[in-house]
Amino acid sequence: MADADTLLTGQSKAGDWRSFERVILPPVRDLHKIDVYEAEADGYKALKDVVRDGKFDPKGLTDEVKASGLRGRGGAGFSTGLKWSFMPPVDPDKPRYLCCNGDESEPGTFKDRQIFEYNPHLMIEGIMLAGYAMTIKTCYLYIRGEYDDYIQHVQRAVNEAYDRGYIGKNILGTDFSMDLVVHAGAGAYICGEETSLMNSLEGRRAYPRIKPPFPAQVGVFGMPTTINNVETLADVPLVVNRGADWFAGIGPEKHPGPVLYGISGHVNRPGVYEYPTGMLISDLLEVAGGARGGKRIKAVVPGGSSTPPLTWAMAEPTTMDAETLREAGSSMGTGGLCFLDEDTDMVSFTRRIAHFYHHESCGQCTPCREGTGWLEKCLARIDEGNGHTRDLDLLLEVCDQMEGRTVCALADAAAWPVRWGIKRFRDEFEAKCRPTAFASGALGGDGATEQTGELTPTGVPTT
Amino acid sequence: MPQVTIDGTTHEFEPGAKLLQLCLDAGTEIPHFCYHPAMSVPANCRQCLVKAGTPIFDRETKEPVLDENGEQKINFGPKLQPSCSLDVTDGMVVHTQLSSQEVAAAQADNLELLLINHPLDCPICDQAGQCPLQIQAYKYGPEGSRFEFAKVHKPKRVQLGPNVVMDAERCINCTRCTRFTAEITETHQLTIINRGDKNHPMTAPGEVFDDAYSMCTTDICPVGALTEDYFRFQARVWEMAKTPTISDFGSAGINVDVWTKNNEVLRITPRQNLDANEYWMPDAARLIYETYNEGRASGPTLNGTPTTWEAAAREAGRMVQEAGSDVLFLGSAYATVEDNYLLMRLAEAVGAPAPQFVDRRGSQADDGFLVSDDPAPNTEGCLRLGMKPVDPALLPSAAASARLVYILQDDPVQAEVLRVEDLEGTPVVLHGTHVTHRTPATVSLPLAMSVETLGTYVNRDGRAQLLRPAKMVKAMNRSLLMAVGTGQSRNDRVGTPFDRWHDEANQVDCLPGWATIPQVAAALGVDLTFKSPAKIMAEVSAQPAFAGATHGAMDLLGVPLETEDADVPQITA
Repeated sequence: MADADTLLTGQSKAGDWRSFERVILPPVRDLHKIDVYEAEADGYKALKDVVRDGKFDPKGLTDEVKASGLRGRGGAGFSTGLKWSFMPPVDPDKPRYLCCNGDESEPGTFKDRQIFEYNPHLMIEGIMLAGYAMTIKTCYLYIRGEYDDYIQHVQRAVNEAYDRGYIGKNILGTDFSMDLVVHAGAGAYICGEETSLMNSLEGRRAYPRIKPPFPAQVGVFGMPTTINNVETLADVPLVVNRGADWFAGIGPEKHPGPVLYGISGHVNRPGVYEYPTGMLISDLLEVAGGARGGKRIKAVVPGGSSTPPLTWAMAEPTTMDAETLREAGSSMGTGGLCFLDEDTDMVSFTRRIAHFYHHESCGQCTPCREGTGWLEKCLARIDEGNGHTRDLDLLLEVCDQMEGRTVCALADAAAWPVRWGIKRFRDEFEAKCRPTAFASGALGGDGATEQTGELTPTGVPTT
Repeated sequence: MPQVTIDGTTHEFEPGAKLLQLCLDAGTEIPHFCYHPAMSVPANCRQCLVKAGTPIFDRETKEPVLDENGEQKINFGPKLQPSCSLDVTDGMVVHTQLSSQEVAAAQADNLELLLINHPLDCPICDQAGQCPLQIQAYKYGPEGSRFEFAKVHKPKRVQLGPNVVMDAERCINCTRCTRFTAEITETHQLTIINRGDKNHPMTAPGEVFDDAYSMCTTDICPVGALTEDYFRFQARVWEMAKTPTISDFGSAGINVDVWTKNNEVLRITPRQNLDANEYWMPDAARLIYETYNEGRASGPTLNGTPTTWEAAAREAGRMVQEAGSDVLFLGSAYATVEDNYLLMRLAEAVGAPAPQFVDRRGSQADDGFLVSDDPAPNTEGCLRLGMKPVDPALLPSAAASARLVYILQDDPVQAEVLRVEDLEGTPVVLHGTHVTHRTPATVSLPLAMSVETLGTYVNRDGRAQLLRPAKMVKAMNRSLLMAVGTGQSRNDRVGTPFDRWHDEANQVDCLPGWATIPQVAAALGVDLTFKSPAKIMAEVSAQPAFAGATHGAMDLLGVPLETEDADVPQITA
């Protein structure tokens, strides 16, 4: 980090990324088969080393993960080792649970499905190691309900691992036992919120729970629970096999490791790409084959639909790690980048995102339940050419009314794209609004009257 | 004791308290919808937002950090917090809408959001006038709405079950109803369906919301989404008088509000009493409202012919006198302690055996909650007065051998402890309530029901509770009754805000026992005149079994009486 004042140096923090060797999704054919995984990818070596050969005790493994700097890949970017250490001491009377969150449903996020499809055993091995680190006997693998094929695919992999003795009773002949239950999600975006996921697992309606208490104290079935993303847990065997130093040495210091970038939008080769964190967004554009049709890229959504969109001028010097993206005015999210070219109508784009959150709000909290609908209806009006410029200020105020006032972060996720879309692309929004005609004969949408040009208290023209 | 500062005033609190309840207890109203003290706290309406902060302590010295004025520094979080789920901690500083513009604005914002998809059909909504959403929107809401779009449409007029009708558009998804069926009755009959602004409570497909307590959901519904089927469109809230009294449904001693209009009971709702029914009452206890209006015995009769009260009382007195000590007096577990006491005094005066009563305990199933095995409201009161249950085996012969049977309120034929044939040739003086009474009467002196009298019921737990008249009877103006009953005039705490004191319609020509029994006694030359039922109870409360149970002490929540049974926990008032 050359400049101490800014992280937006325009320099890649991913080191020699062009020669980066893929480790989460290595180019091995039929890797989802356990024989191939064992033979060609050091499969279950980490589990054997740790559980059977005592490479780490539970606390040691937690410390190793902490030392690796691994941060959650599900969006919040919290230190994984630290999260594990929040689990209370083992109480023999209390079961404790691990949940692997595979309820990937945010628009622009499609990385976990690659792990399910191409390298499920890496995730399973990571789950077993995490269970060992926290002395957990049951893990629920919660996979998005719409991923029906992957649920069956992963279930086959789990069955293979059971058959080889990597899951189940007395794993590898030790006294460590753990079960892994594949659970089909309930078909809603909100199920991926960690406390909703717990309610959903319990068979309840997937309403997020208020925190505190946090899952590590009161989680699934009221017991201590840790919830980790699929990709996060898939990183754990790599940390064990190659060492925390190796992991910490990839990408920027505060947010290291290999990461799956899901690239979509107006690029020539959309897809999931594995590279170090700290990649320049412009390098990722190059990786994805550049903009479609040689167009200019106008905007980038860096981490899934809920993260604030960046203009290309803002995105160009930005690298993909939590600190830099925060400084740039967005967030890392799930690393699902969406590139939008110059032909994109930002109003329609924002409207579509607002539609998603309107559709997916669980309806528990008032600001989100009512606000998401209001945002969509208002954006639809603008998009259809019937909006007024005052609607833009109203939208920003509705965002104010939603943000930070709900149980979970869905209201924030719904409000951010709208707020930052308007703030960063206001010209486009205003261009779609009805012109306010103070001087001409036509009445403006701002409630200005022909005679005086003044606003009435209600914003409705007096004539 | 730890302390919390709310709007600049310091309050002490018990550890474990939640902020909203603490504020409500301390008299600071914070608007809220989903919070209910008897149920879990989902914090989903987001209405009770406050600004709360905790003192900052130095990490090393553990000393409080002070600002330049020497005041303790407070760390207010970045977000406003819902007070319902917020644990109060020592030294916490809270700003409600009363002292923070930010909080007031946030609460107004939330009400604007709550109203954007709410139909605003208050003019035709049964809840209007007692609607927490309406009241709080006026009090804390914004001036108008900036929402200019079509509202969401949801199912209306859905018959969820036999007693509850839903209008989903009015619903604000507070989940009080679903939590009620999940946590209070545990029938789990309601759940929220759909998502986002389309969600609303519903039963499982094909299921019926037939919970025995289903109408409690209409009480706790903070909008008009759930309404009682029997009461829909019957009256506006402000047209009715609401009287706090005790239900005569069963021995649980359910505290109720009786809603009347034109001297008819239109609705019965539970009244909070944590020592009796908490916040709830069974549907069956509401659906008896018609028994107060219909089929009432009205006007005294002599051998079936209408007569005057004076003539009927004179005749009854003559018959008692004639029978001498050979009168079979029957008291009642449906009558008040006062009326039964006067009957005992009358029996004593003529030298007859003490009154007995028909014991109905065990005649129905106990549901473990508010429906006990005893359909009568005052069995405990009768027992405490020293009355003995009748022996069904001996009663027919006792009736046959008596020269007069004198019945207060009860219907021994209906109760199947006596047959009409057993009374062949024996005259009967009856203080009855309904024309459907099956025991034949020689002299009938119609009796006021529990909603028309002042008196005392003792519930199954030995809690003495006070009945108040909710409607007028013809022979005695209610305001007079109130005056004689409590020594207070109408605009006092026993009056109600919407009283219609001038209503003349639908008055039943009947009298409470404490008015007629002294009339009968007077014809005998026995003076049982009391200035009011309160004076009777003052005399009764001299007995150890009723110690402390004066009308003044019972007031709205009743008085726990001494119990001999050590296993019954003593409830303190």
